[in-house]
Amino acid sequence: MSSLEQLAEYSDGGFSNLSMARTRTATRIADTRARLAAVPADPDACVALFGSWGRRELTDHSDDDWAIVVNGAERPETQPAAARIGEVLGGGEREPGVRGTFGNAVFCDHLVDRIGLDADDNKNLTMRILLQLESVAVVNDEVHRACQSRVLDGYLDWSVKDYRPPRFFLNDLVRYWRTICVDFVGKEREGSGQKWALRNLKLGTSRKILFASGLLPILLCHRYVASDIRSFLSRMLERPSIDRIAWAFIELGAIDAGIRAVGAYDRFLEMIGDRSVREELEQLSRKEAQRSASFQEGRRLGEELEQGLLALLFETRLEPMVREHGIF
Amino acid sequence: MVGSLNFVNSPLLAEAPPPLLEHHPLGASTGYMVDLRGEWPRLVEEASRVSSFAVELAALGEDELPGLLDFLAGDPPLPFRYLSAHAPSKERIQSEVEIVAQLAELPQLVDSIVVHPDQIEDPAAYAALGGRLVIENMDARKTAGKRVEELTQLFEALPQAGFCFDVAHAWSVDPTMALGEELLDRFAGRLRHVHLSSLSPQGGHVPLTGEDEGLFAPLLSRCRDVPWILEAEPRLH
Repeated sequence: MSSLEQLAEYSDGGFSNLSMARTRTATRIADTRARLAAVPADPDACVALFGSWGRRELTDHSDDDWAIVVNGAERPETQPAAARIGEVLGGGEREPGVRGTFGNAVFCDHLVDRIGLDADDNKNLTMRILLQLESVAVVNDEVHRACQSRVLDGYLDWSVKDYRPPRFFLNDLVRYWRTICVDFVGKEREGSGQKWALRNLKLGTSRKILFASGLLPILLCHRYVASDIRSFLSRMLERPSIDRIAWAFIELGAIDAGIRAVGAYDRFLEMIGDRSVREELEQLSRKEAQRSASFQEGRRLGEELEQGLLALLFETRLEPMVREHGIF
Repeated sequence: MVGSLNFVNSPLLAEAPPPLLEHHPLGASTGYMVDLRGEWPRLVEEASRVSSFAVELAALGEDELPGLLDFLAGDPPLPFRYLSAHAPSKERIQSEVEIVAQLAELPQLVDSIVVHPDQIEDPAAYAALGGRLVIENMDARKTAGKRVEELTQLFEALPQAGFCFDVAHAWSVDPTMALGEELLDRFAGRLRHVHLSSLSPQGGHVPLTGEDEGLFAPLLSRCRDVPWILEAEPRLH
């Protein structure tokens, strides 16, 4: 039984939207794997999907954020070619984002060797974090796992200590979270902030889930000796984001808060799965959003999720870890 | 434990619950500020002194609701991150439909609208409040809305509604606090905020006593993630 299902057993009505989304995602992953099964692929290349695919939370309107991830150095051509994958994924309204992060080849050597400094651009940082925290392979699963393993090893060097969260990983994760928050405003200022309301709500919900699903396992490394930290993180990161969070709520005895936090996220998923609501949110300007019942309901759900996560971080045995490692 | 990995759980990290009034987010209900009733800017100022994070703007009499609507329509710069409004709970003069229509006009910055279940005659009328509707458990003097089964009926009729846990009301019905546990067990997923105070022998809200602080602590530890609204002045000592 997954941690999400365990937490659901404590609640009155369960998390039906998350549960349905997980079933839907499993079906779509199986279907996509079948459709791509005959596509020739280099032995060191996989095709991975990110975002709601990786979180196992597909709605009927989710984007296909995909990339070819190569376990090696940059090279001019890969098999499969991006164009071939684009025939199967990302059609119509499922087109991946316009900033070029997805729909291309990504090279694991860059993800591992370019952590920090100028060469670690926004795309590289995004790919490294998403690969770890919310991705799933639809071609060459073993290559995907190998890349995840390399990235994790890239964080866990000699500096990892007994009963200490791995600082390098923690700092990169926090940096990513703050980067997407700052970039949200940056996009608005440069005039590329379309779909302001929907993106704002996602920042307060699914992006927060992404961050917390990395932060919690990293902080909980304080329970382990250095030689066990890699194994703990690896097992945690195999689970979908929301399972890591549900597990933490149960593990730290904050079940009531967990029911409410995950319940709020479950309702948010229902909300954005409704085509008419989603279309309304896509059209709202920042000013209009303040008076929109749909936007404000989404904002409230984001607040409930956040308050639950904050209670987990500050009202349980995690609090000393947050104090010790979360700010400086 | 995860798989075969063993972890340490240092006794140094044992929980030591903080005093109740150190909870965050905490807020004041303007309902106890009787001398300022109807003077919304001053009520907000007074509530901000208790906390700028959460507040409950209480229009406990029907005649207070239009003033609250006017005040909020002016887009006052409020500091609160969580804003609750308490619907009229005293003897009704207008029809239920008229009251709900006014409540529905509360601007979207209002996160929750607290309604007493003994004021609800036709639950369907409140569906217009959507997820902002929050139903509070009642005290021993009331004829309805005290126990799990009574509230369950309402929540079945109003599935989007949230729950406001008035811990002192639960105590007045069952001083063993078993009812409070049942309410939190049953409606955990709906809980939006807590009402916190002690009760006078007449059933009025009075500052939280030291005795009640200890008595309520186990239940309140289950509500650490939601705002606690003080229904009486904070106790200074």
